[in-house]
Amino acid sequence: MSKSYGGVRALKGVSFDLRPGEVHALLGENGAGKSTLIKVITGAHQPDGGTIEIAGQQVRHLTPAAARDLGIACIYQQPALFPDLTVAENIALRLEPATAGRRVDWPTRHVRAGQLLQRIGAEIFPDAEVRSLSMPEQQLVEIACALGAGARVVIMDEPTASLTQKEVQLLFGVVRDLQGSGVGVIYISHRLEEIFTVADRVTVLRDGESVGTNPVGEMNKASLIKLMVGREVSTIYPPAEGASGEVVLSLKNIGCAVSGVRNVTLDVRAGEVVGLAGLVGAGRTELARVLFGITPADTGEILLNGWRLTIRSPQEAVAHGIAYVPEDRRRHGVILDMPIAANMTMAIHRIIFPGAWLRFGAERQLALDYIRDLDVKTYGPEAPAGSLSGGNQQKVALTRWLATKPKLLILDEPTQGVDVGAKSEIHKIIRRLAKDGLAVLMISSDLPEILGMNDRIAVMRGGTITAILPGKSDAHDVIAAALGQAEKGSAQ
Amino acid sequence: MAAPANNPKSSGWRTILFRHETILLLVLVLEWFYFNSVGPRFGSLDNTYDILRHSVEIGLLALVMTPIILTGGIDLSVGSLLGLCAILFGKLWRDAGLSPVMAGICTLGIGALAGGLNATLITRLRLPPLIITLGTYSLFRGLAEAVTHGADTFTNFPASFLFLGQERWLGLPAQAPIFVAVAVAIWVLVHRTTFGRSFRAIGFTPEGARYAGIPVERRIALVYVLAGIVTALAAIIYTARLGQAKADAGTGYELFAITAVVLGGTSIFGGVGSVHGTLLGVAAIAVLNNGLVHARQPREVAGMLTGALLLLALSGSVVPKMLTTLWSRRQTPPANIQPTEIA
Amino acid sequence: MKRHFRELSVALALGLLLFFLAVAAPTFYQPQPLLSLLTREAPTLVVACGIALVIIGRQIDISVGSQFSVCSVCAGLLASMNWPLALVLPASVAIGALMGAVNGALVAGLRLPSIVVTLATMVTWREGLRWLRQGVWVDLPNGIQWFGLSQAAGQWTLIIIALLLLVFMALAMKHLSAGRFVYAVGSDAEAARLAGIRPRLVTFTTFVLMGALVGLAAMMNVAQSPQVDPNSGTGLELKVIAAVVVGGVAISGGRGNLWGVFVGLLLLACVSPALTHLHVEAYWEKAIQGAIILLAVVADGLRSRKKER
Repeated sequence: MSKSYGGVRALKGVSFDLRPGEVHALLGENGAGKSTLIKVITGAHQPDGGTIEIAGQQVRHLTPAAARDLGIACIYQQPALFPDLTVAENIALRLEPATAGRRVDWPTRHVRAGQLLQRIGAEIFPDAEVRSLSMPEQQLVEIACALGAGARVVIMDEPTASLTQKEVQLLFGVVRDLQGSGVGVIYISHRLEEIFTVADRVTVLRDGESVGTNPVGEMNKASLIKLMVGREVSTIYPPAEGASGEVVLSLKNIGCAVSGVRNVTLDVRAGEVVGLAGLVGAGRTELARVLFGITPADTGEILLNGWRLTIRSPQEAVAHGIAYVPEDRRRHGVILDMPIAANMTMAIHRIIFPGAWLRFGAERQLALDYIRDLDVKTYGPEAPAGSLSGGNQQKVALTRWLATKPKLLILDEPTQGVDVGAKSEIHKIIRRLAKDGLAVLMISSDLPEILGMNDRIAVMRGGTITAILPGKSDAHDVIAAALGQAEKGSAQ
Repeated sequence: MAAPANNPKSSGWRTILFRHETILLLVLVLEWFYFNSVGPRFGSLDNTYDILRHSVEIGLLALVMTPIILTGGIDLSVGSLLGLCAILFGKLWRDAGLSPVMAGICTLGIGALAGGLNATLITRLRLPPLIITLGTYSLFRGLAEAVTHGADTFTNFPASFLFLGQERWLGLPAQAPIFVAVAVAIWVLVHRTTFGRSFRAIGFTPEGARYAGIPVERRIALVYVLAGIVTALAAIIYTARLGQAKADAGTGYELFAITAVVLGGTSIFGGVGSVHGTLLGVAAIAVLNNGLVHARQPREVAGMLTGALLLLALSGSVVPKMLTTLWSRRQTPPANIQPTEIA
Repeated sequence: MKRHFRELSVALALGLLLFFLAVAAPTFYQPQPLLSLLTREAPTLVVACGIALVIIGRQIDISVGSQFSVCSVCAGLLASMNWPLALVLPASVAIGALMGAVNGALVAGLRLPSIVVTLATMVTWREGLRWLRQGVWVDLPNGIQWFGLSQAAGQWTLIIIALLLLVFMALAMKHLSAGRFVYAVGSDAEAARLAGIRPRLVTFTTFVLMGALVGLAAMMNVAQSPQVDPNSGTGLELKVIAAVVVGGVAISGGRGNLWGVFVGLLLLACVSPALTHLHVEAYWEKAIQGAIILLAVVADGLRSRKKER
């Protein structure tokens, strides 16, 4: 029914088609190109090459509005709903035309919302305020909207990421229902069991290319994983130096109810680079935020060099010697409007500016030194951080924390969106830091990076650590553990 | 590796010319010449001292409003707090029998408490500064009216106290050194300390500042408490200058303060701005007010012009940005699309 | 029931206040003064309806007091130039709508923060009026007061106008799609845009409507006395914002309804005569108003924080 052949930079010659009443699963690691493909289909991105056909008609220049009209609906993990309004009204506002003078038919709104919700089997009252709904419930409302809009293609992006078993079954019922109505579903998920339960065909993407589209019946878990991982680890990573020092960080049964982290036990030694692997939503960034004091732990113990700590805020974390380079570089990693030098010194005010007095000379010198050491490409320390490329911004974010001379450095996707050259530079820097005695915890979704950079790999899933593997593990083992199919590797 | 797009340094003298402060300085000079030609007594030294005297209170409020706006907040209650502090000062002196000095110190404490009220409600309960300071704007003025029963005025202050507002010291108006001291202190705070750095960071992105380890709530609380203290100081000087304390003291001063700050180049959204810009803004408004009097214009014209000036200043910061985005949209969009990481 | 908890709790507070007055100050319940009270508050109700709309749309307008004064004086001047009543009223509404359009253009068009824009327009209109009129009151010709009717008939007319407007607007905000758009934009402007609504147009319209309602309210105020006081709008903005906030409208937009505003207004309107009857000085009124605003906002803030847990 719809077929797209994309040629965007992140996708190379991908062909994909969806038949009416079919559930077509899309599988691939983080960064393989799934989200880009979806953006092309929903009109958010224009492909550089290739064609899109919907219901036999070729479509030129697909815009989001046009995609909506043609019946393409996407259920994201972040629903675009009105928190203060009721479920019925949310659905109505999305489905009704936006003309100003119409009389609002509340009974019809209520009934239609009720019908749609019932079709999905969602136990949500149409009069409930969206703000009071949980994330999965809000997702179900989005699905109801899509259903009501008469969508012909429904894209579900990790729909079961935060659902209970019961809710997952409900969702499968919804999917089957959609199938019955002739709707085609593109189902993105990392949970292989689900794919085998609900999908008809599965396409695996790897590095922006499609490596196979097969009927689900012809595949098994092992073959799917092999398709996902497939290539050689070709990049050369700086070698690990071997012996690690004392245990710097020791976590015992760390839990944080608000962020979903539970029962995390882990040790990191000086000179060691421990990787934190897992799929999106596994809880890696959440763990980092617990350690950094953004969402403090409510159970368990954190020991730093043997000292028991309570970390209730980022200031406390920094004071204890914990540094965190966040995932969202542009919002949390650097302050785009401020100069590089100011960014670099943002965390070390107490040290470099005693008495709270700004010393521009010292700051400039520090900035120049780091710019030289890390080879940051800029015209000067006064340049705003927003003027740098992604890789260089990452370097600035890194130096901000290096300047604090931390004992533990947590890196969250350090080379995401960074080009190959800068990537390699950053890797060398990380190795050098470890060699100097730093304990490094590295969160990454880049499989080769995980395998190449880490001395040990802790794999997370569902907010806890499911396996700790040695650094030179098989890629297969890492993915399997991340997917919950642990065959080798124990809890310690 | 993308080369940095724009290097401000390379524009050189043109950037200095088009800087906000330079334009403001130009406006100030033009005002001066205009009013000089229209009103004969305008340019005299006496009059200049008059301008200085009259602008100290608003100047203090504008100075302390600058860090608040830098953090992306606002304080609408400073004018009302000035009135409240003025009459409480009078009451402490007259009814409680304290010396002007002691009464002054207590008043500063009251100002700190009032600022602390704003600070607590804003930081602890994470409520928008807009509505909180709107509530305290009413509350403080109301308390001032209630305490004085709407009618009471405090007068007959000792000459030693009135000296502060009305006499000269070493040739300058007596309140000038205080103003200069506070101006320097706040300038240093904003431009030369880590506190000022953190104010800007918070104004640009409170979350980003938090992730950098900045104690966001503590810093925000600081600027509001500071505002309370400096407002109390302004109230004391006001009383000394007029020789009396009434409940309606400082009515409308918050508008002048905010206008001066925005006029001086501080962005209402936070992050960008300077104290010297605010000082120029205060000067521009003070000269305008005074000049209009000399040009025999009624004082309402000053108010209207201030309002219009604020709108112009606001639009002035937004319109160039709008034009540049309109312009850049006409160019072709960049060819490379960075794959955003989701799944 | 749970959904209207906020409005019902205000109604309860009003009930308690009225009961308290019946017991402690029964002189409050005399027909003539009560009627005068309600008549005096009728224009305020009209303005409160308008500002509720603005605040639900996640904006604010503190220039309503000055707008009110300007419209009152203009209406008075036109009347004293012997314009017929049937023309004075639309003229007042039009002048108000024009001032509202200025606010709307700056906020929606240039995307300037509404607090600062309306702060500036508030002072500009007020000072402009003072400059042109120098505080002189306007004498009205005979046919204007009470619309030429008897006092009692005029009072009832005004009250009914206000109530009709309240009902009409409350119904429109609930049953007209345009009304729902205001809620949508106030709740999440981006989601509204994705749903096909045009947030900037909605914002602009709420400001224009606000101005028009101020014009109507000004006319209703002018009809109550033989002269027009150019300072009649002073303090109006705080009064209506307090009523709206007490009545359950959230400053963050997207929630609240006019019934709550109505009850909130009544509550605040009864506070000052209650104070008088309790022999508390009227000078506490502003302080109490401010305290009420703070309490209402704090209470709402605490409640939503608890929900987030």
